[in-house]
Amino acid sequence: MATAVDKTKSRLGARGLRGLLLIGPAVLFLVAFFVLPLFDNAMRSFATADGQGFTLARYVQLLTDRFYLGVTLETVVLSTVVTLICAAIGYPVAYFLVRKAGRWSGLVIFLLIAPLLTSIIMRTFGWQVLFARRGLVNNLLVQELGWLERPLQIMNTPAIAIIGLVHVLVPFMVLSIATVLQGIDRRLEESAQILGAGRWRTFREVTLPLSADGIGTGAILVFMIANGSFVTLVLLGGGFQTLPLFIYQQFNTTRDFSMASAMSTVLLVIALACLYLQLRLVRRQGGS
Amino acid sequence: MRARSLTDLVLLVFVVLFFVFMLAPILIVVLISFTSASFAAFPIPGWSLRWFARIFEYQPFIDALLVSFTLAIVATLLSCVIGIPASLYLARARAGWANAVSTFLLSPLSMPMIVIGFASLFFLSQIGIGVSFTALVITHTVVCLPYVLRTVTAVYRSIPPSYEEAARILGASPLVTFREVTLPLIRSGIAAGCLFSFLTSFDNLPVSYFFGSSQTNTLPVVMLSYMEHQFDPSIAALSTLQLLLAVGALIVADRVYGIHKMTVAT
Repeated sequence: MATAVDKTKSRLGARGLRGLLLIGPAVLFLVAFFVLPLFDNAMRSFATADGQGFTLARYVQLLTDRFYLGVTLETVVLSTVVTLICAAIGYPVAYFLVRKAGRWSGLVIFLLIAPLLTSIIMRTFGWQVLFARRGLVNNLLVQELGWLERPLQIMNTPAIAIIGLVHVLVPFMVLSIATVLQGIDRRLEESAQILGAGRWRTFREVTLPLSADGIGTGAILVFMIANGSFVTLVLLGGGFQTLPLFIYQQFNTTRDFSMASAMSTVLLVIALACLYLQLRLVRRQGGS
Repeated sequence: MRARSLTDLVLLVFVVLFFVFMLAPILIVVLISFTSASFAAFPIPGWSLRWFARIFEYQPFIDALLVSFTLAIVATLLSCVIGIPASLYLARARAGWANAVSTFLLSPLSMPMIVIGFASLFFLSQIGIGVSFTALVITHTVVCLPYVLRTVTAVYRSIPPSYEEAARILGASPLVTFREVTLPLIRSGIAAGCLFSFLTSFDNLPVSYFFGSSQTNTLPVVMLSYMEHQFDPSIAALSTLQLLLAVGALIVADRVYGIHKMTVAT
C-alpha cells in the first residue's frame, strides 16, 4: 500500500520534472529576453535624470500635458477608426468566404493570405506608384480621362495612411470573423426563416449577433496591431502623431530615451489590456 | 458562386472590389519590377530584367540579403529547439497553470514590436551584447517562437494520444516512440511553424530597425534606407523576389499541410 503511494508520488515527481525540462528553456528564454527588457525599460521611465532617484514626472507629463495627452488620444482614435473600417469591410468578405464562395473558398483564402506575405515596403512602394502626383491614378484622371484639372494630393494625407493600415490589417479581421461564422449552426437561420423572418431580418437578428464574437476577436487583434504600427505611418506620412511614431522620433532625433521608455510603457499597458480582453473572449468562446 | 438574388450580386461585386484593393498595390509593384525604364512609373515603355540584375550589383543588398537569410534560419532553428519541447508538453497538459504558461509564451505576438525592439536594444547593450548579430538572433527568436509554438501545439493536440500509447505498450522506449511515432505525426506542424517563423523574421522591420549597423543591416532595413534616397524599380524587383519566395514556400507548405488547416492554426 505504502509503496504504491510512493510510486505514484515519484511518478508524479518524474512527470513534473519532465514537464519542467520541456517548457523550461522556452520560459527561461522569454523571461530573460522578453520580460526583463520590458521591465528594464519601464524602470528607465521612472528613473530621475541622474539615474539614482525615482520620479513619476514623465507620466504626469504624459497624462496631463495637453500635447502628450493628444498623442495618446490620437493613437487610440486612429486605431479605433482603422478597426471600425476593417470590421465594416471585412464582414461582407468573411460572409462571402464562408457562405457563398463554395469551391472557390480555397482561392479566396489564398488571395487573403497572399498580401500577408508581402512586406510593408512593397505595399508602400505600390501605393506610391498608384497615388503619387504623377502616379497611375492621377495620370488616368487628369490626362487619359480628363475628369480632373489638377492631380489629386493623396500621398502624405491622413487618408492614405488609414488606407495603408486597413490594407495591412483587414485580412486578420476577415479570418477572425470567418472562423466564427463557420461554426454557426445553419439550422438556427433556417428556423428563423421558417418562422417567417426575411433574409435581411434573419441576418440582422440571428447571424450577426451569433458572429459578434468573431468581430470582437478580430477587432481586438486589429486594434492591438494598429496601436503598435509605425512603419506604415513613417512611410506613408499623413501627419499623424501617435505613440509609436513618437518613440521612433525620440530614438532618432530628440534622443530623450527616458520619455520614449515612458511612452512604450503606456503602449505596453494598452497592449496588455487588449490581451486581457482577448483572453476573456477566447475563454467565453471555449465555454459556450 | 451563382448570384441568385440582387443581394448576392452586390456582395459579389463588393468582394471583387475588395480584392482589387488588396491586390492592386502588390501587382503594380510586380509589373514595375520588369520595366526597362529607369524610374518607377506607368506607362511601362518596355520589359527587361535589368532591375533584378541591379540587385546583385548593389553590394548592400547582397550583404543584407545574406544577413536576413542567415538570421531567419538561425532564429527559426532556435525557436524550434526551445519551442517544440514546450509545445509537446503544453498540448497534452490539462493543469490550469499550463494554460497560463501557454498564454505567456504566446504573448510576444500581442506586444508592439517597436516596444520590444526599443527595450531590447537598451537591455542587450547593458549586458554586453549590444548591436550585433547575436542581438538580432535573440530578438527575432522572441518574435518567432510564438509561431512555432502555436502551430506545433495545434497539430499535436489534434493527434490522439493512443498512437503513442500503442507504441509504448508494444515496448518502444520513450525516445523511440518520439522518433518513430510523434515526430512523423507532427512534422507538418513543424514545417508550417518554421515557414511562418522564417517569413516573420525575414520580413521584420520594427525590431531589426533598432539594431542597424553595417554588419547587422537586414534586408528590410536596407530597403527602407534605400527608399529614403531614391525611388527606382530595384526595390520593386527585390520585393517581387521576396514575394516569389514566400508564395513558393506557401504553396509547398499547402501541399504538405493544407491552407485551410493553416488558417485555423493561426
